[in-house]
Amino acid sequence: MLDDELRVTVRDSGPVKVIDLEGDVTTFALDKVRNAFAEAARDDARSILLYFRQNDYINSRGIAILIEQVHQASKAGRTVAICGLSDHFQNIFRMVGLTQYLNIYQTEAEALAALTQH
Amino acid sequence: MRRTPALDPLPMTNDHADADTDESRFLELRLPSKLGYEKIAMDAASALARRLGISNDRIERLRTALAEAIINAIEHGNGLDAETRVLVVLSARPDELVVRVADQGQRPLELAPIARADRRDQVGGWGIWLIQKLVDEVEFSAAPGGGTQVRMVVHLEHVGGTHAG
Repeated sequence: MLDDELRVTVRDSGPVKVIDLEGDVTTFALDKVRNAFAEAARDDARSILLYFRQNDYINSRGIAILIEQVHQASKAGRTVAICGLSDHFQNIFRMVGLTQYLNIYQTEAEALAALTQH
Repeated sequence: MRRTPALDPLPMTNDHADADTDESRFLELRLPSKLGYEKIAMDAASALARRLGISNDRIERLRTALAEAIINAIEHGNGLDAETRVLVVLSARPDELVVRVADQGQRPLELAPIARADRRDQVGGWGIWLIQKLVDEVEFSAAPGGGTQVRMVVHLEHVGGTHAG
């Protein structure tokens, strides 16, 4: 009830691999997030969009997992973007420096438009 | 030897000092040292903060800071021993909301790295760094029993106003 409240799904939107993250992003997100990025790498996706849905709780452990995965994807030449985040977590992501590896968009449509122009 | 929380008071000194004389403005939670339980305290703190008229964005900041303090207490202070407890005390004062988090001190945090938490590669640096950025005041201290206490303060935005409480 309290430990694992994250659902991660991966889907294609044109050339972009969209990773939907619904729920809490914490320590317990590790395997699910790693697997999603691994799937994107396996399919050699050039662009990845992390779509945050109903994420009331993202903590430093979850952020560390995201930094690890986004950094690796960036090193592999993939472009990563984020959408759907609340203002609070957008601010947190900027504070911790995640935005040096990705851009934040408000909506999926905006993010996809930017990624497909890339 | 494992501690027995019911018989072993948590090492928080003066933990009622922030409580006003009005007992209804004082809340104490004892959480198992198991990740996930911090969400219970986050929800309790949100509810109290909302009643004090604290704005939503500052409540979000408090929720994140409180989560980080409790996670540190669970992982570093209590070593993920589910039989130990993390004490969270929420005190509504006329001009501020004070939140204290104390662990049972199996692995007390070193205060020197806390002072250098702006270097985020330090032990616990990420969470501590975030706490320092997100609340109005924060103070880390060693508890007499060997654990760590974190005292976080959110100032009320309209002291003397008409906020509920």
